[in-house]
Amino acid sequence: MAVSAPRRAAEGITTFAAEALRIAAILVVLLALIWLYRRDPFTLNILAYTFLFASLASAWNIIGGFGGQFSLGHGVFFAIGAYVTANLYIHLGLSPWISLIPAAGLAAGAAVLVSWPTFRLKGPFFAIATMALNEVAFVLANYSDTLTGGPRGLSVPFKAGLANMIFASRLSYALLMLGFLAVCLLVCAYAYRSRLGYYLQAVQIDEDAARAAGIRVLRVKLTGMAMSAALTGIGGAIFAMYLRFVDPPTLLSLPDVGVKFALIALIGGVGMLYGPLAGALLIVPLEFQLRAGLGASVPGGNLLVLGVILVLCALFLKRGIVGTAVMLWDRARRRFW
Amino acid sequence: MSGAFLSLSGLTKRFGGLTAVSDVSFGMAAGDLISIIGPNGAGKTTLFNLVTGQLPATAGRVAFKGQDITNEPPQVRARRGFGRTFQISKTLTALTTLENAMVGAFLHHRDLAAASRRAEEMLELVGLGARAGIKAGNLTLSERRRLEIARALALDCSVLLLDEVMAGLNQTEVADVIALVRRLHREGLTILVIEHNLKVVRAFESRVIVLDFGAMIADGMPEAVLSDPNVVEAYLGRKRT
Repeated sequence: MAVSAPRRAAEGITTFAAEALRIAAILVVLLALIWLYRRDPFTLNILAYTFLFASLASAWNIIGGFGGQFSLGHGVFFAIGAYVTANLYIHLGLSPWISLIPAAGLAAGAAVLVSWPTFRLKGPFFAIATMALNEVAFVLANYSDTLTGGPRGLSVPFKAGLANMIFASRLSYALLMLGFLAVCLLVCAYAYRSRLGYYLQAVQIDEDAARAAGIRVLRVKLTGMAMSAALTGIGGAIFAMYLRFVDPPTLLSLPDVGVKFALIALIGGVGMLYGPLAGALLIVPLEFQLRAGLGASVPGGNLLVLGVILVLCALFLKRGIVGTAVMLWDRARRRFW
Repeated sequence: MSGAFLSLSGLTKRFGGLTAVSDVSFGMAAGDLISIIGPNGAGKTTLFNLVTGQLPATAGRVAFKGQDITNEPPQVRARRGFGRTFQISKTLTALTTLENAMVGAFLHHRDLAAASRRAEEMLELVGLGARAGIKAGNLTLSERRRLEIARALALDCSVLLLDEVMAGLNQTEVADVIALVRRLHREGLTILVIEHNLKVVRAFESRVIVLDFGAMIADGMPEAVLSDPNVVEAYLGRKRT
């Protein structure tokens, strides 16, 4: 039977190519933002962090959002990427650009290994198991002196140069993080606008229906998890070279790393392609400004305000920033067209 | 009507002390349309789940095209050509109608464009073409049932199992679905239907199997089966004399 492959997708279906154009437009705007603040190291630092966390939350969103597997253990994959890269650089002088490959590979491998048994757990039970995983990793990192430097951590000596991924200017770091964001958004878009994305969503909504549609549920979850963890590992590698210092609390603290990825995605719109980006654009700069403006005068005041914002988001933005925006747009369109 | 295509032999399912399906054996030839009827709790849906692999059988075997598939999980059976709907409809409510059908179509059409076209065709076939862009959560009950049929058809299935697709539908909707099922049957699809509504079973004019307390109590054409005293008793109880 001759099947003529139709080239265009049906109406109402967004293809990867269309999504890539949107991403290009977003990147141009963000690039303009960097250019605008090119002489302001404080803001450039905020932008670098924002783009990094937007990337990491987007990576988390592949399995946590599309796939609905609420992982709080992504700090582990982040730490693996950071330690691999720092060790290879310090002991072997290997360029971090090359280390990105083992960083991604080992993170993905570890993710598959620990997810295989934990994917039997559903909903909150899976989240708790991954949280426990993060805590175990924290203890292990503290005790494995030879690999992680234990509680003292690892310091990467400052030797600026493109090959070393170490730069003297904040501008270069902001651009590096934007580049990583571009990669993450493209991978996410590819995952979302393909069979894998639909399979992940089907698994998230109803595993029985997914199985009846011939979906190998465990394999789909593991694929999503591996992609998500690989990107998170690369993020850890870049973070290690940015900070040039890594220790267990920086990499594996639950509130500052593992939970934060999920939190940013939740505020922006979990399971939506640009949700994590929107969440990071709101939360990360806000955190910096609060810490700078309020943290000095009222100790802990910044955390208090941040907490109130999180509560307000949970109450009034249940679908996150992007989800609420889409809903309002749909409602407006129905009323006026 | 020996079942070289799909055959069940001695199929049994026990939940602890309760035997939900007891020693059920029958065969289907390719292109058959068989209805399974029986009172509430007779084990119809359990039997379905044994055939599609949602539940593991306690004893007995299921063979499809001569191969023993008793121990295969549902996703593998779906790849072999089993398409099904669920009694409590399992539409993916957060996705659009088209995307729901695509989830089925992806099984044999990897490419997004090809899958979306295939899904579109199946929606047209079940009469949901105009609802493609709507979130499946906003569909009516009857539309959801038809969407589940479309998703199963998009799998390019060779056996379609329909679990009470008429339940809760009004007269017109029931007539629509009957027409759809008969059409699919005419086109050569093998169909196994669970049905509560005896009018529907009569309309199909094809083989009926009656379950009661998990066991087969009758098997034949509707007129004969529905006048069988055992069947009448199972449905209505014994007449007091």
